[in-house]
Amino acid sequence: MTASRAAAKVRALFADAGVTGRLHAVDLDHPDREVSVGADDPVVLASVFKVPLVVALHHSGLDLTRRVTLDHDRSTGPTGVGGMLDPVTMSLRDLAYLALTVSDNAAADALVDLIGLDEVDRTVRELHLGRTVVVHRARDFARTMAEDAAPDELPRALADPVVLSRLRALDPAQTNRGTPRDLTTLLRHVWQHDQCAPIRRIMALQVWPHRLASGFPFDDVRVAGKTGTLPTVRNEIGVVEYPDGGRYAVAVFTRSASTAFTLPAADAVVGTAARLAVEHLR
Amino acid sequence: MSKSDISLSAIAEQLSSLLVDLLRHLRYFLAVAEELHFGRAAARLHMSQPPLSQSIQRLERELGVRLFDRDARHVALTDAGRQILTEARGLLAGEDRLRASAGRFRNGEAGSLRAGVPPDLGGRAVAALLPAFRRRSPVELKLKEIGTAEQLRALADRSLDVGVLRFPFDVSWLGLGPVLTSPLGVLLPRDHPLAAAPDVRLADLNGLALVLFPRATAPALHDEVLTTCARHGYTPADVHQAGNPEFALGLVLAGGAVALHDGVAPPVDAAWRPLRGTPLLWRTSAAWPRGRQTPAVTAFADAVTEVLTAQGMRHAEGTLPRYPRPAAEYLA
Repeated sequence: MTASRAAAKVRALFADAGVTGRLHAVDLDHPDREVSVGADDPVVLASVFKVPLVVALHHSGLDLTRRVTLDHDRSTGPTGVGGMLDPVTMSLRDLAYLALTVSDNAAADALVDLIGLDEVDRTVRELHLGRTVVVHRARDFARTMAEDAAPDELPRALADPVVLSRLRALDPAQTNRGTPRDLTTLLRHVWQHDQCAPIRRIMALQVWPHRLASGFPFDDVRVAGKTGTLPTVRNEIGVVEYPDGGRYAVAVFTRSASTAFTLPAADAVVGTAARLAVEHLR
Repeated sequence: MSKSDISLSAIAEQLSSLLVDLLRHLRYFLAVAEELHFGRAAARLHMSQPPLSQSIQRLERELGVRLFDRDARHVALTDAGRQILTEARGLLAGEDRLRASAGRFRNGEAGSLRAGVPPDLGGRAVAALLPAFRRRSPVELKLKEIGTAEQLRALADRSLDVGVLRFPFDVSWLGLGPVLTSPLGVLLPRDHPLAAAPDVRLADLNGLALVLFPRATAPALHDEVLTTCARHGYTPADVHQAGNPEFALGLVLAGGAVALHDGVAPPVDAAWRPLRGTPLLWRTSAAWPRGRQTPAVTAFADAVTEVLTAQGMRHAEGTLPRYPRPAAEYLA
């Protein structure tokens, strides 16, 4: 199977699942072997931005065992500290753990507030991710969605396609953006540098099984990933490691036609598309 | 940019300013030729006399002939001036036509609009759409009958300017008109026992096959319909794919199958019954590539809204609660 044939099959999988998708998959040890489907198109990162954030944290020189307190004014979200009610004190590296394993918005925003968006941007430049831009924190997604949906109310308005068409949070030009290729480049950096070993550990501890990991239902294959989700947006980037030593970075970004929050087929196609691409690379 | 590119673009710029200048000088020349008086011509042009005189001198230099004989009291056209006056009137009339024509395109009053409509929109809606559009726009409307998936491809490659699409579809790059909904019912053979009741529950359809549009024409909608049927207790014995309404009707009349229909002018040889609780809806709106909303596109979207509303479609209103799960990563 040629790479273009594999790409055509990936496209067909996306169409069949009712999504438009972009993908880049690359063999970490033979980077000339790759599968691209719109790999250089700008895409909305959603919570995938937490990966460049944590990479920037690890290059910041800060003491990662330093403890900070997240008080009542922290960002909110459905998971981790974001969903808790009382002040929490923990180390920077544990905040990074929650930000990546359960996509904790409060933990991620606490790290941004500490190191600054400029520092994330500097890291992105240093790694030559030319088309990646991080301008929003998690709480900025929530804020702009509420502003742009008004006068309609969240969360119900987020199932209305007309409301979605005016959300800045869903327009790559107006929010955190990247390209599938930029994100696999970032993963290669994480998998090649000792300084990033803790990031590899926590990405492999991510709890969500429904996207990238669902495509590799094997006990001897390790999947380390980070999802990104917003209305109609279902993303995941990650590295798949086989027992024979094969290691593949995959970045999948999708937009669903349906505005339903719960769409198992759209989640699963992230895994099946990644599997098809990885099998082509093996 | 190379050196030669720079000089070429500089030349092109100068050429275009010369051309605009020539037309401007000719307008001044026309005013003076008609008034035969520099003061009156300047007043008519809302300018002072010295720049007007300079303009005429520059035109005479440019053309290499004298246009006027002038002394302290009189201004008269020379032979060359009289001849050139005729040519100038032609040129200026041409400029007026050119600008008016560009303006008509700019304001969406000229050209054509390529619009797509779904195959199941119905002949009455199509018939009403043309006059409703004509009342709003002088542009020629070219209608094409194509499904949602194909309309999206055509909008993306610019072979379509605007479409009428059934939700759901990826709206991330589209501008949308109002979303209109029509509750769906089913077509049954007239002699089917279910046709005896005023409405039908989805669960009552168990054992019957479902006739539905081909999945490839709108995969997301196809799946949404089947998921909703299953959620309301109806798992079709089989799903037949029918691209056109006549074929769908044939499968219904042959027995053992039902087809979905919005109840607008249902075929007379079948019975149409609404579904209790309106579990299934078509949601429809006009859509165009974002940033390409011309006046003709707006006129078409308004015409679609008028026609579909007249057919009984209503503005969408969300009434169901929504509970995002933690895996959604946003909202608490």
